Amino acid sequence: MQSAAQLRELLGGYASEVERCIRCGFCNSVCPTSNIPQAYMGSRTSRGRLVILQSIITGSREIEFSNKLLDLIDLCFGCRRCLEVCPAGIPIPQIMWSVRSAASKMGLPHASWMLRSFVKNYDKLASLASRFPGLANTLTRSKLGRVLAERLLGIDKKVELPAYIPLRHESSINSQQRLAYFGDVFGLYHEGNVVSGLFSLLERLGYGVEVPRGQRQAGIPLLELGLLDEARATARRNVEILSGYVERGYKILTTSPAAYLALKQDYPKLLDDTNARKVAENTIDAVQLLNELVKRGELELDGGGREVVYHSSCFSQATSLSGAIVGLLNNAGFKVVGTTPRCCGVAGMWGLLREHYETAKQVGSALFNELRDAETIVSQSETCRLWMRSILGKEILHPVEAILKYCKA
Amino acid sequence: MRYKKVSGEDLENLRRIVGEDYVSTDEDELAANAIDAFPGEFHMPEAVVWPGNAHEVARVLAYANENRIPVTIRAAGTSLSGCVPLYGGIVLNITRMNRVKEIAERDMLAVVEPGVIYERLNEQLSRYGLFFPPDPGSAVACTVGGMVANNASGMRAVKYGVTRDYVLALEMALPSGKLVKLGARVFKTSIGPDLTRLMVGSEGALGVFTEITLRLRPLPRKMVTALALFDKVTDATDAVYEIVRTGLDPAAIEFLSRKTIQAVTQFRDLNIPDADALLIIELHGRDEHVLEHMRDVERILERHGAFHIKSAEEEGERKRIWEARKGAYPSLLRISPSPLTGDIIVPISKITDMVAKSYEIAERYGVDMGMVGHIGDGNVHHTWFADRREPGSWERASKANEEIVRYAIELGGAASAEHGIGIEKKKFMRLQHGEAYELMLQLKRLFDPNNILNPGIMFDLEDVMAVELP
Ligand SMILES: Cc1cc2nc3c(=O)[nH]c(=O)nc-3n(C[C@H](O)[C@H](O)[C@H](O)COP(=O)(O)OP(=O)(O)OC[C@H]3O[C@@H](n4cnc5c(N)ncnc54)[C@H](O)[C@@H]3O)c2cc1C
Ligand code: SF4
Ligand code: SF4
Repeated sequence: MQSAAQLRELLGGYASEVERCIRCGFCNSVCPTSNIPQAYMGSRTSRGRLVILQSIITGSREIEFSNKLLDLIDLCFGCRRCLEVCPAGIPIPQIMWSVRSAASKMGLPHASWMLRSFVKNYDKLASLASRFPGLANTLTRSKLGRVLAERLLGIDKKVELPAYIPLRHESSINSQQRLAYFGDVFGLYHEGNVVSGLFSLLERLGYGVEVPRGQRQAGIPLLELGLLDEARATARRNVEILSGYVERGYKILTTSPAAYLALKQDYPKLLDDTNARKVAENTIDAVQLLNELVKRGELELDGGGREVVYHSSCFSQATSLSGAIVGLLNNAGFKVVGTTPRCCGVAGMWGLLREHYETAKQVGSALFNELRDAETIVSQSETCRLWMRSILGKEILHPVEAILKYCKA
Repeated sequence: MRYKKVSGEDLENLRRIVGEDYVSTDEDELAANAIDAFPGEFHMPEAVVWPGNAHEVARVLAYANENRIPVTIRAAGTSLSGCVPLYGGIVLNITRMNRVKEIAERDMLAVVEPGVIYERLNEQLSRYGLFFPPDPGSAVACTVGGMVANNASGMRAVKYGVTRDYVLALEMALPSGKLVKLGARVFKTSIGPDLTRLMVGSEGALGVFTEITLRLRPLPRKMVTALALFDKVTDATDAVYEIVRTGLDPAAIEFLSRKTIQAVTQFRDLNIPDADALLIIELHGRDEHVLEHMRDVERILERHGAFHIKSAEEEGERKRIWEARKGAYPSLLRISPSPLTGDIIVPISKITDMVAKSYEIAERYGVDMGMVGHIGDGNVHHTWFADRREPGSWERASKANEEIVRYAIELGGAASAEHGIGIEKKKFMRLQHGEAYELMLQLKRLFDPNNILNPGIMFDLEDVMAVELP
């Protein structure tokens, strides 16, 4: 089949990764999509996606690569939980991104032009909107704003869009311990208040923090939509900027697990160069840094034994930041009464899209039941917080936000 | 044998039995059910059917039997010996039947539907301080029904036994459409031939399990684990024999050969010195006595020349020891893209001979090979390195494996200890069973006169067709 050969070629090295899958189904055991009601069907599971690709790539059946197949591939939302259990070390989500990328090269674009343009430029739009936060917030909260988001981007109108709270910060670099902040969209444009609270705390402890200009979004949604060339360009730009800081002795600071994941894991793979690896080695997340400071006795926090439930987001799991977060919460005097590794279903932008909204709710339903009675819920991922906030109607806090809000420092 | 193709009318009728949503002819779905964890070819079914309960299973079987449509039973599809629809027809996928129906704490038993995943069941049982011990390496994925069909087992078999030792009763759907109940809710019976035990390991050739009653065990309270390294593999295998023989009742004795140790060291970030053999020994008990027993184990290991011994009681440390074993197969997979996994077992007194023979065969065929195994009961998995894309590579690995299987049978052992026969090991059935093979074929004819169940799996279809009922 012509399209099978073409797919094989476009997948490059990922084609042989597909073939290496031993079809053990271990990935299904952690894949959040195993929770959807149709998951009794093999084709709706993680292993199924690999097997279907194997059947095409090995020429075991004659089929044309189609939109229908792409819909199945689309069920993988890139949470990366499977990477921890796959005995063969198959880069499952990366394979799905490249299938999407191949599809669009074969004339089968996976997302609408409008959505692709939006994802490519979201940071620029957010930066613009943040200059007029009053106006932007009125629009996004209005019915018109939601209708536009749905019509133009396919974002379900039940989704509560995030408010614009830009990060305003004066650099303070007259210090030995220098940090350059890599914020991604939420840190820079939606949760600027939390980030600047963190900076003040760090500055009191003698750190100098700078926000490098010209940095772009981390770009994980680009990967997920299969916009690999754009993701690579974004990564290159960010690495160029950040590696300059690393050269000058800065550590790169993140607050978003997506930003951390991009710098630590995705950029080195996408770019395969020394600068990307250098940036990766010198990146630290705020939760790790604070936990270190608390452990070393340089920062004292008292959460007064407040009970919190920690939701370990997919990316906090994939980056192993969850360990540091639970450690930090405990060391900061909170009482972590539960941790829930279950997926909330949103997976970045995936669950916000109209076509996935209901599926995403099904994926998250077990988690929502667990969290219904919890008083203080903490999660590091911005989209998980946005999503759970809108479904549970409760405040969900970033770990740093919980510390700023409840701890006596 | 001529089977009927699945027609539009058949699909209609099947939908009437199981419901509209639970019959599929979608080609991607067919592909997902056309292969399992055995590295074989894709064999597309014509339809996939997901029954929701025992009666639906029975009705689907009766329909297929009447219409001569082959039925391939599929659970989690983790079989390493291959169970795919060789003759097309329908795949009867039992994954929807995954309820734990009852946990009878006082009777120490559980009643489950066949599609429940092993680890999910044990998660529920742990709340009662109970467990179902066999613990296959595929615990997170495989189903209890698949385990019963293959008589699966795992790391703890040397103390706790295998799946067969835990199946008290079964409900089964037969090709005739009958539902039968075998066994009873008690640990022992003396009530005639034991059909329940006969069914364990029948690989779906005789009927479909629709309900399984399992005996349970209390979770051990105290566990201690040791790792030992040897310069000579034969010293390790001799030590195994002595540990088993001394009545120390090990809960696990696992073995890694040199190649496997190297692979694990390379891919699992484990700092293991170069060695010819690695053993992991675990003891389970109620109290501190196990620690004393572990000292005895250590003395045996020392006496047999172990140059490094480390034991651990604390959970994290024990886990780190087990990492060497749990990472073994994954690490071998990194080296060999489509490995052929063997599953032979020999009497424990013959382990040393078998290991020596394995190296000799590997060298003769020029095939790399890593061994890893439940050596406490004589079961070793050879991982013969192969790459299907390289001409001749798979065939060489198969030949090497075939030779060690023949040797194992010669020593009084068996072609498969836990993975089952499937497609892959059919060729050894006659050698393994001799005259008794005919009896098995007759049994197959008796239960499944039209050969609709799992055709070509475990028994060659021609062999079944050729046999005469007495
Ligand atoms: C990485 C890996 C590690 C493994 N480690 C081990 C191990 O340590 N020990 C071990 O024993 N096995 C191991 N296996 C093999 C496999 O997991 C077992 O054989 C398991 O019991 C198969 O269960 P399943 O649910 O996947 O069944 P399937 O593969 O779907 O089916 C297996 C057989 O059972 C039949 N069957 C399934 N359900 C029923 C039913 N309800 N009624 C009648 N017949 C039925 C099928 O027709 C087939 O013949 C491993 C496999 C993998 C991939
Ligand atoms: S990345 Fe997440 S959604 Fe995708 S297959 Fe892996 S576990 Fe499933
Ligand atoms: S866990 Fe890995 S090897 Fe197993 S089915 Fe999933 S992708 Fe394939």
